[in-house]
Amino acid sequence: MTHAGSERVSLDPRFAPPFPEAALIMLRNPQLRKNVGHAIDVIQTKRGKLVVEKTDWQELRSAASAIRVHALENLGVYLEEFEARCTAAGGHVHWAADAAEARQIILDLLREENASEVIKIKTMTSAEIQLNPFLQAAGVNVYETDLAEIILQLGEGEPSHIVVPALHINRSQVREIFARTMGLKNLSDDPKELTNAARTYLRQKFLTVPTAISGANFLIAESGTVSVVESEGNGRMCLTLPRTLISLVGIEKVLPRFQDLEVMLQLLARSATGERMNPYTSLWTGVSPGDGPQKFHVVLLDNGRSRILAKTKERQTLKCIRCAACMNTCPVYRQTGGHAYGSVYPGPIGAILTPQLMQMKYAQTLPYASSLCGACYEVCPVKINIPEVLLELRSQVVNQERKQAGRFFDLMYLGLRIANLIFATAWGFHAAQRMGRIGLRFFTSKDGWIHSLPSLGAKWTQTRDLRGLPKQTFHQWWATHAKEEK
Amino acid sequence: MNQPVESRQLTLDRIRAATPSAAQDASLLADAYAALPRAYIRRGDLSAQARIELMIHRLREYDAEVVECTPEELADALATQLAASGRHRFVAPSGAPPEWLVTSAYKIKGLEWTIDHGLDIDEIEKAEGVVTAATCGIADSGTIVLHHSATEGRRVLTLLPDWYLCILRASQIVETLPEYFSRCQQPPVLATYISGPSATADIEMTRIKGVHGPRILVVILVRDDPEYINLIHRPDVNVANISKYLDLDLDLRFTASVKPKL
Repeated sequence: MTHAGSERVSLDPRFAPPFPEAALIMLRNPQLRKNVGHAIDVIQTKRGKLVVEKTDWQELRSAASAIRVHALENLGVYLEEFEARCTAAGGHVHWAADAAEARQIILDLLREENASEVIKIKTMTSAEIQLNPFLQAAGVNVYETDLAEIILQLGEGEPSHIVVPALHINRSQVREIFARTMGLKNLSDDPKELTNAARTYLRQKFLTVPTAISGANFLIAESGTVSVVESEGNGRMCLTLPRTLISLVGIEKVLPRFQDLEVMLQLLARSATGERMNPYTSLWTGVSPGDGPQKFHVVLLDNGRSRILAKTKERQTLKCIRCAACMNTCPVYRQTGGHAYGSVYPGPIGAILTPQLMQMKYAQTLPYASSLCGACYEVCPVKINIPEVLLELRSQVVNQERKQAGRFFDLMYLGLRIANLIFATAWGFHAAQRMGRIGLRFFTSKDGWIHSLPSLGAKWTQTRDLRGLPKQTFHQWWATHAKEEK
Repeated sequence: MNQPVESRQLTLDRIRAATPSAAQDASLLADAYAALPRAYIRRGDLSAQARIELMIHRLREYDAEVVECTPEELADALATQLAASGRHRFVAPSGAPPEWLVTSAYKIKGLEWTIDHGLDIDEIEKAEGVVTAATCGIADSGTIVLHHSATEGRRVLTLLPDWYLCILRASQIVETLPEYFSRCQQPPVLATYISGPSATADIEMTRIKGVHGPRILVVILVRDDPEYINLIHRPDVNVANISKYLDLDLDLRFTASVKPKL
């Protein structure tokens, strides 16, 4: 058996297997499904109770959606405003057009500080640009400080959720990882004891490592303020104790005004963890003399976001505030867990975000990793119509495939082209119905159902039955009926 | 090597090309911003006493210890809590009023106050507890808001010590989060919103209190609200029976926000 949680998975969409393949592996892992199912049940129950008690939930969603749409519509203006205010307050703002540039900017800043070590708050953006392996290769030791991230870093696992990244690992697996890597042989699997082990492991790092890397939940344009929302206090440690702080933030994270937080904060914790408010929210503006890091850098990351911004239907993807409610409610995610998505962004939001960040060159099976049931849209606190974007991306995948030369004689596309011709005229359509009834009669059993079909049709009947065609069409029934009426 | 200036221009150009309908500068956005829908609840409808009860209820849900006192009783109440903590080395922010320090130092043997006039991290780490004031309390979520003024202390002060006592005045308590935002004249330069002790649910969603921040939170609620002050000075009223004189319309079996609107 491999070490707990360390089954090799790739979250690099360029190398990850297609979703159906990866999902199959996960479906055959009962322990993983049990762990994921349990965690999701707990969050969903808590979230449900707190959303019901909020009588203005829909009004909050509408406000949040409108604020995010407005911020994205005027993104350039608000980013420049943020940059000016943050700089005036003593911060340094850097712009990274892509992942490679962001990594290099951060490494250069660390080299300026002669940093051999860095402490980190959980940031999905850094996972997106694969910052940790890059820094390690450049000789900088990276210490994750979020409990789940420590579990993954020490256990050499990958995140499977954007809010609780280690939800696929249970307590005995955590015990095994900590006992092995921290040299604590007598550790029990009591979560309290495990948490204490992590507290002790990190305390010295917090007090001594002079450089930290964070992400951010929100940037406030009017004041140049940055905000991080967290639970454990590792965030506050990283944001206050080091000399130098580097925050890596996607360009879409900007809010026009401070007051917009009154909407976002009410929605975020309730959606993410089922709490009225997360234990700690930090806000800081540039550098404050005598309080916290005296050098502060913000790295604004584009990495494909401006391309998404340019598209009408897809732009709403950027409204996301990373609460993970969509994955918690998704019937597909519940069965497969996060690793099957082959991306640091799993679940419904990952299914639309990942292929777009990859310029639709990779992760093309992800838009199909959905039953289009719409549960994700219903829970989304900023009203991202995920099914709409999924359908748009599916059509793009199909259009790409159609253009490939080898696809011309592909059975499916050939069939669809023929269907296109037939269904274009009423005459063709009626003829096809008659032919279908005659042809399918052979496969229809006495109970009126078709249980198995040959060739392409088998793709359907392998897993479900098909109703046989009725003896007459509605059209025919109407024609005879209308005569009788007269 | 990266070309920071070019990347800035490149990114901004891409963003501008992607948003042809964007305003040219921030001053032109005021009207569009003001027109955004905000139909959510801004102001709560609880009575003053119910609002305070809700705050206490929420704090206790977070396992925080909450005690109430009048403004005159604060120094004694503080000394009582410090003594009950069984700890001796405390830090206080640079603007801590002398009344916090003197009574407790006089009453408790071995009590040691260190005032934060730029203490280094090791000195704060050695402290067993910390006492600060706050900017605001939000009853709906049981949140304590710190803007890190001289009486609230630097951010690190309320982070490293394991025991944190916060002095919150009743007049600082609002019911809803938007009420706090409307009290802010301008965005705070620094702020920390604390909703219960630090916690994690990363292992099997089991909530564990106290990961890195203070593990014990004590709140002294100073009843400076006029209604309470007027009552407590009546001869027939004392702390034990005051609740029957106050307008208690909060049914804590339900939270304020689930009360059906008739």
